[in-house]
Amino acid sequence: MPAVLLNGSRHWECPNCPAVYVTAVAEPHIPFHECPGLRGILAPYVEAGTRCKVEAVDREDYEGSELGLRTDRDGRPVMSVVTTRDDGQDCAVFPAAASAQQEG
Amino acid sequence: MAWSTSNISAAMVSNFFAPAAALTYTGDTINVALYNNSVTPNKNDTFANNAYAAGTWAGNEISQAGQWATGGVALASKTNTFGAGTAQIGAANTASGNNATLTAVFGCLVYDNTLAAKNAFCWNYFGGSQSVTAGTFTVVWSGSGILQFTIT
Repeated sequence: MPAVLLNGSRHWECPNCPAVYVTAVAEPHIPFHECPGLRGILAPYVEAGTRCKVEAVDREDYEGSELGLRTDRDGRPVMSVVTTRDDGQDCAVFPAAASAQQEG
Repeated sequence: MAWSTSNISAAMVSNFFAPAAALTYTGDTINVALYNNSVTPNKNDTFANNAYAAGTWAGNEISQAGQWATGGVALASKTNTFGAGTAQIGAANTASGNNATLTAVFGCLVYDNTLAAKNAFCWNYFGGSQSVTAGTFTVVWSGSGILQFTIT
């Protein structure tokens, strides 16, 4: 009997745009893309065939002097993207970089 | 008090010039521990207090065994780069297992888990309350890194 090799690839899609993706990584992971259907922000793919919605959540606190916040195409800071499935919810958060400045 | 910003401690920078502990970002195991909004991050606190399970970081941790364990998740694919007037450290996105339930997460502490004192490099604010239910919690690090020094 011939051996069957399984490559373990996972197929991903986006509910907000036509983008698709394939990964072959064993560790827990979720690939991301800049989604034109979600205000242009970095958004997670979902496994192909998953019934869900993917939504951006605007930052709740002042931007202040935070460095490297992720923003939408209008420059509005986004603090997370939430994927709501029938059986649960994923969350990807976007913290700023901790920063210090030396002025010469 | 509560979270209000991402930051580093002044004592951590001072440690560069008179090392009391050999913080080694790329060589050591660096963990990311999650916290609720009852911590009071203080950039002026001591080097010893800005460490995992010390000072304001003693208690108020949010974790789940097998998903985002107590003590945190280790950073992977760490980078240490400089140029164009900046120096920064970074890493690949940090993710939980795929069946995590974590509620009211406001930020994280990035610390050296190899050192006995578990001194922190920095803390990063998530901008508000974050939760996950039977899913994956992912920290997507900024394009400016986890921590950045800017020389102007």
